[in-house]
Amino acid sequence: MRKKLVSLLSIGALSVGVLGACSNDEGSSESSNGKDDVLKVWSFTDELKEPIKTYEEKNGVKVELTIVPIADYPTKLKPALESGVGAPDVFTGEIAFLKQWVDAGYWENLSDEPYNVNEISDDYIPYVFDLGKDKDGNVRALSWQTTPGGVYYKRSLAKEVLGTDDPTEIGNMMSSMDGVLEVAEKMKQKGYKMFPDEGAIRWFSQGANPEAWVNDNNELVLTEDKINYMDYAKELREKQYTALAPEWSPSWFEGMSKPIKVKEGGKETETQVFSYVLPTWGLHSVLKDSAKDTAGDWAVTNGPSPYFWGGTWLGVYEGSKNKEAAYDFVKLMTQDEEFLTGWAEETGDVLAYKPVTDKIKDDFSDEFLGGQNNYDFFLDQADEITPGIVTKYDQQLDTLYGASVLQYVEGKKSKEEAIEEFKKQAKNAYPDITVD
Amino acid sequence: MKKLDRYGYAFIAPFWVVFLTFSIYPVFLTLYYSFTNYTGSQGEEVVGFANYARLLTDTYFIEAFVNTIKIWGINFVLQIGLALALALLFSDLRLKLKGLAFFRSFFYLPNLITISSVALLFGILLDWQHGSLNMMLLKLGIISDPINWLSQPVTAQLSVSLILTWMWFGHSFIIVMAGVSGISQDFFEAAHIDGANRWQMFTNVTVPLLKPILLYIMITSLIGGLQLFDLPLLLTDGIGAPDGSLNTMVLYLYNQAFKYNNYGYAAAVAYGLFLITLVFSAIVFKGMFRKERAAQKGA
Amino acid sequence: MEQNAESRRMLADSEVQPPREEKPLRVLPPSKKPKKKWFSRGLIYTGLIILTIVCFIPFLMMLVNATRTNGEIMSGFSLIPGSALVDNYAILSDYINIWTGFKNSLIVAVLVTLLSGYFSAMTAFGFAFYNFKGKNVMFIFMLVMMMVPGQLGLIGFYEISKTLGILDSFIPLIIPSIASPFVVFFIRQYTQATLHVSMIEAARIDGASELRIFHTIALPMMMPAVATMSIFTFIGSWNNYLMPLVLLFSPEKYTLPVLMGFLKGSQVAENLGALYLGIAISVVPIMIAFLFLSKYIVSSISAGAVKE
Repeated sequence: MRKKLVSLLSIGALSVGVLGACSNDEGSSESSNGKDDVLKVWSFTDELKEPIKTYEEKNGVKVELTIVPIADYPTKLKPALESGVGAPDVFTGEIAFLKQWVDAGYWENLSDEPYNVNEISDDYIPYVFDLGKDKDGNVRALSWQTTPGGVYYKRSLAKEVLGTDDPTEIGNMMSSMDGVLEVAEKMKQKGYKMFPDEGAIRWFSQGANPEAWVNDNNELVLTEDKINYMDYAKELREKQYTALAPEWSPSWFEGMSKPIKVKEGGKETETQVFSYVLPTWGLHSVLKDSAKDTAGDWAVTNGPSPYFWGGTWLGVYEGSKNKEAAYDFVKLMTQDEEFLTGWAEETGDVLAYKPVTDKIKDDFSDEFLGGQNNYDFFLDQADEITPGIVTKYDQQLDTLYGASVLQYVEGKKSKEEAIEEFKKQAKNAYPDITVD
Repeated sequence: MKKLDRYGYAFIAPFWVVFLTFSIYPVFLTLYYSFTNYTGSQGEEVVGFANYARLLTDTYFIEAFVNTIKIWGINFVLQIGLALALALLFSDLRLKLKGLAFFRSFFYLPNLITISSVALLFGILLDWQHGSLNMMLLKLGIISDPINWLSQPVTAQLSVSLILTWMWFGHSFIIVMAGVSGISQDFFEAAHIDGANRWQMFTNVTVPLLKPILLYIMITSLIGGLQLFDLPLLLTDGIGAPDGSLNTMVLYLYNQAFKYNNYGYAAAVAYGLFLITLVFSAIVFKGMFRKERAAQKGA
Repeated sequence: MEQNAESRRMLADSEVQPPREEKPLRVLPPSKKPKKKWFSRGLIYTGLIILTIVCFIPFLMMLVNATRTNGEIMSGFSLIPGSALVDNYAILSDYINIWTGFKNSLIVAVLVTLLSGYFSAMTAFGFAFYNFKGKNVMFIFMLVMMMVPGQLGLIGFYEISKTLGILDSFIPLIIPSIASPFVVFFIRQYTQATLHVSMIEAARIDGASELRIFHTIALPMMMPAVATMSIFTFIGSWNNYLMPLVLLFSPEKYTLPVLMGFLKGSQVAENLGALYLGIAISVVPIMIAFLFLSKYIVSSISAGAVKE
């Protein structure tokens, strides 16, 4: 047996020699194995489990779902998509990789025959539909959800400090960054903290005039609003408006339902956190899980500017042998009224498909939010989001900028130094873009 | 003899067949990419030495190099020191320590956990406001304000060094002990008859005879250490915070390749790192061999 | 596991000569100052035990957390076990069949350990006892190649596996272990200090073939080194995540770490207790195996040392 192995391996080594000479002409559309009756779906969460069941019942096609954790998703996906071996028929993409994959052409062009999705573009929330387009304007991926954000706050604290817990009134108080700081000061007077940490307001750094990080001329754009954000963040930290609990840290979660301890200036105080800046999904996958004790005491309202955070798109793999069945699945997920209605009611997901949202938005109310109609609120927010400002650079540039802002907030760098550092980093990461 | 020596090829043949297929080929593919602007998907252009030219003036790479050496160096001194000290204790005849197997197994445990769990664990322990370490220090009155360990360059680097020591000293200890056990008793008996004390025995018998093993530890730790990246990646923001102090060479490579998609440049970074490793290893080898020869003459 | 002859032999060996006292050196007379000795030993043991605790705490936390509910874990650290073990297991088995992953990991890790141990010993033997042309160049080349950062080789590795048609199988996880430079390096270093050419020459004069010499003389003498490296190889393979993640597509072939990754992406991740239980199930058996095996390996180490 060992002998056989060795001889097998020498054959392998031989073919390497041959390969080395012409390694690059390996085609990319070699098919996945011949099991045409199985539809392969890849994603980074298990939320497609239910839709897959529905799909299997409806279409009589067996589906194989592969889940890969988000951190390793691109690592696993890329070699498979590039080579076509073992590749899925349908795969999802998170906003972080969306633009890059759309441009790489991994997904089938849905603007073409026989899909013609452009005909139904009016049925989608504009920014969501827009994000699935590649650099030539062809739609490559669709999404069922929209993920606009808001500010979730505790009603009891609002009543005590601000005299009201009405989302509209509180939204008005926080309609500008200065308004937010005013509320924060009031919270501080009563011994509460406005936000868990200063990173919470990064979503409002775009301000009233959002622009893409990189414009059409391939230039880095650092808007006035984004620069001002640095000062707002510093003010939050210096005036002790936050609980020093970074996002996703244990204390960040704890602050949702319990008083937490903050150690500042040599003394320890116990305090409560007033609000969390989170999008639609923050309600179901964060707050409802981690703030069970305070259910009913929450409400959601707007911050200084509309924003969105996250989202999952899906499309048909360009090399799939099973495109028809694959697109049927995409259709079920993004256009099937019956299915989507059930989905929204079951999960509370805010949908991007208007024929369904128009039908259901009016009589929505969530017990967790004290009976507030969050659906209506979020749909309004979604309509205000400016389409066309997402670039493939966003994820990394946001991280780099955040790191520089933190340096300034912690007093390790001056504002100018922090900005300089950011520009240098941006240039280093993306040599192609022009940095002034 | 000459004829028999040909058997040498036969003995190393299986290794080379597999090695060429699964290690060398990918490595040379990477070499090719380092001369291109490959971004991870097909359609790259050959750009000559542009990537290497950029590497030479890249301050982030130089920063990464310095950080890596610092973090690895501190860790290595502690780790090998601890391993040798333990080996000294356990090989000491007068002490007659019991339970070598027990302790050795437990010391090795930290190496069993995957790095992501390690990072998670220490992230919680070192947390600024609620970490157990700060809680303890505050209670003992050693500090009056919690220290944000992972937000200051010096403490952040030191933390990574210590975590690495914690993870790897058991591993080094096992190897050192394996080496110690392989040493013939005769040497020790002879030394004892000569009236050598504990320390003399250790420095004059154990350490010289352990040279090959110590060289092994040194080289593998160096290679591993220069490739340090998962801890810094997981402990802070993944791009080297605070202030670039956890930006290591492979983390930089990783970010260039998989975050910024400058795959071609990342390949050049890989070869830069390769050259650096090569130089360092050569220095270690040279130093070790010179001493080894001297030791052999002395024995 | 029929192929497991090597490790069975190892076990059998140590059963025949049971619990050998583990002090590598045992010839010296007792010390003359018992009191002081007693004190310093006490001090040393205290230090060793503290070190042991420091090394063991994360495991304790993991084990304890595996028995607690999500809420309990979120609310803080504790070393008192909870009562949610059964619930956590139910949640876990709802999502994955952890025992299939267990079986897959075991198959891969055992084969990897055997192949790597056997072929590395063979290669080290070739390098150590024959003087052939290009030997030093090859050895140095092997060492040099260890220094290339592996992260970038992934795409090439995937391509070669694709070309050989072995994607989505265990082969690309197992076969490459035949070439384990670190193990070869270690065994050669070890051999340099322990094995002498004279023994091999003696066997040649007795008319033994080269392969036979390797199997009957060199390999047993190398066993301590092979066994030591086997621990690391086995654990390395057991914890290997990236390769199986990229190379395997069928869920029924997933190894444990890949299954754990799968868990992190699912709703189980929202239940930390179940997640910890999953990790515990994947770590505890190898921990136990390690604690036990290392005792045997110790015996074989001293056995190797004495055989001179």
